[in-house]
Amino acid sequence: MPDVTHIADALSRADVVPETLESADGLGAVVRVASVDAAAALRALRESSHAYDYPVDVFGVDTGEGVDIVYHLRSLSHGEEVFVKTAYPYGGELTSVWELFPAALMPEREAAEMFGLTLSGHPNPKHLLLTSGIEPLLLKRVAIRTAGEVRNR
Amino acid sequence: MSDPRAQVEHAGWLSSVAPAQPSTRPVSAWGAVVGVDSLATDRLILNMGPQHPSTHGVLRVLLELDGEEVLAGEAVVGYLHRGIEKLAESRRYNAVGTLMDRGDYMSGIHNELAFALAAEKLAGIEVPRRASWLRVLMGEINRIASHLVWYGTMGLDAGAMGQFLYAVRDREVLLDILEDVTGQRMMFNYVRPGGVVADFTPTAEKKLRAFLETIDGYLDEHEALLGGNEIFQARLTGVGVIMKETALAFGLSGANLRASGVSFDVRKDLPYAAYDEMEFAVPVAREGDCFARYLVRMGELRQAVAIVRQCIDGLPEGEYTAKVPKVLRPPAGEAYASVESPRGELGVHIVSDGGPSPYRMRYKPPALYALQAGEAMLPGALIADVVVVLGSLDIVLGEIDR
Amino acid sequence: MAIDRLTGENSLLFIKSEQMFDWARSRSLWYMAFGIACCAIEGLMHASGPRFDFDRHGVFFRASPRQADVMIVAGTVNHKMAETVKRLYDQMPEPKWVVAMGACASTGGPFREYPNVVLGVDKIVPVDVYIPGCPPRPESVQYAFLTLMDKIKAQTEQRLDARRDAHS
Repeated sequence: MPDVTHIADALSRADVVPETLESADGLGAVVRVASVDAAAALRALRESSHAYDYPVDVFGVDTGEGVDIVYHLRSLSHGEEVFVKTAYPYGGELTSVWELFPAALMPEREAAEMFGLTLSGHPNPKHLLLTSGIEPLLLKRVAIRTAGEVRNR
Repeated sequence: MSDPRAQVEHAGWLSSVAPAQPSTRPVSAWGAVVGVDSLATDRLILNMGPQHPSTHGVLRVLLELDGEEVLAGEAVVGYLHRGIEKLAESRRYNAVGTLMDRGDYMSGIHNELAFALAAEKLAGIEVPRRASWLRVLMGEINRIASHLVWYGTMGLDAGAMGQFLYAVRDREVLLDILEDVTGQRMMFNYVRPGGVVADFTPTAEKKLRAFLETIDGYLDEHEALLGGNEIFQARLTGVGVIMKETALAFGLSGANLRASGVSFDVRKDLPYAAYDEMEFAVPVAREGDCFARYLVRMGELRQAVAIVRQCIDGLPEGEYTAKVPKVLRPPAGEAYASVESPRGELGVHIVSDGGPSPYRMRYKPPALYALQAGEAMLPGALIADVVVVLGSLDIVLGEIDR
Repeated sequence: MAIDRLTGENSLLFIKSEQMFDWARSRSLWYMAFGIACCAIEGLMHASGPRFDFDRHGVFFRASPRQADVMIVAGTVNHKMAETVKRLYDQMPEPKWVVAMGACASTGGPFREYPNVVLGVDKIVPVDVYIPGCPPRPESVQYAFLTLMDKIKAQTEQRLDARRDAHS
């Protein structure tokens, strides 16, 4: 189980108060911050002693109460990973972190369109995968086709 | 898309970064005679794809051109979006492998393996040693097959056609072996949480040993045919350079990252299956251009052959799967596992709520990040370089669109 | 008109000349290089490869739809791709045929439950031959082309029947 004190130090230096900070089974270090602190937390982690400067992934999860956007960063120098989770309400506004991690450009577009969020601060906020007029398909409330529908195609 | 103004808006976001001015080219002697002061050219929006012989799937690239030079380029994806992540939420853990196979369809074993590793992390399943070795063996055979396709199509992008047929010839032998063991040439459905589905058969072993006798000579031929060709070298050297900092900032992985000087290989740094028992080298280049990516992948081909030799010679006895319930219900929680697929670090993040299906499955596609980095390299390139750059990144649209 | 009895569509001259053209067309069916997904690797790449050589049937790929006879729809068609498929089909000159390769192009395949997927390409373009499988073996694709050749040859019988029915 990785030690998370350096993460707590880095965040406190940036005046970011995490909502939770733990070392979880199967993931490693997981820190949840308020959505307004997302960019500050990511910058703090990138400039911390462990230098989490390698972005692995950016994706969303529908938790039932809202949409969680998860930023997965890795420190190649220390071989450790951190998951930064932020919560958004349904239909909320996701602020892009592309200036910090240009790798987030396309994944943020995808997360926004798949979960029904609006994207701001992004140079190209168009839909990535879906044509316009299709519902945000990764939300739990959007159902897939039933067997009857398919049979009567 | 027939109104050019709409196309400019479509590709406009990169234009704001690289504002275009009408170019004035120096006029020739004949132009002076005829009385032409200068040649001012217009910007042209060129649409490449989604049906195009060299887009490696249904990729659409919008290029803003000034003559032959690309001012801005935008990659449009989503033509193959089939909902692997959403459909996984309604399949049992044993059956998600069929969906994962069809993601990065060139390397089905690695897709299934990433999912199986994440599910095993969640459920705390211990995989028997023979199963781990079989996963490595089949994974490396799959890697050789995938790299052979990349090699064939890389040459096709640069205009060479002969090496494609040689690559398919060698790939057919491997697909025979894979079919012998798993029953399928492409959608193996072989790796499940707990182990693998079937043991390595004696007929497959015979075919594999026969293959290993001749493959080194064939790889020498392949390298000489394409890499030794000066036209190929001229088209790839110095083209599409990605520097180390850019590669890291864009989240590149796999051969694309190693060709820019970062020695990060999931098999060595975050070992899984039986890779910590294998002896192999990781080729790294420093130039970061297309030829460096070509050399790194040819090196990986050789190393994959070496790993296959070690696997088939040292395969341990034992069970090929652990005892896993038919309907796996991992306890609530999250897990992330990644493998080194031929395209890079392929990760699967599963969120479980204790039910028979994953609550949320995220498929982290290495090719999406490679495509982003490639898109950023387009301004300043020539049209001919666009094709070569996209080919050298080894993207598969099934993975990008999922 | 009297001349129609000699050269119209029910005339023997036309039917026999079309029979010769059909024989030529069926022996050189050129498909458009249009691979959407996984089936493209099996059915287009491997089927044209050195082992399951497609060229011996006269089948070869052309990059442009303007030069192709057959469109092999190899892969899942979704709403974004549907417009492109229709457009490419419209750009192909007559006579043209469509082969729906694989389960996805036939009826939606393993992804049929996803709302973004079109349940079969025959919702968009008329299909002549369906190939089941996921992915179908290259031999299946070649068999489909042989079936298509038979279908083209059968057009002569249909024209002869139409001639007999028109004159009766």
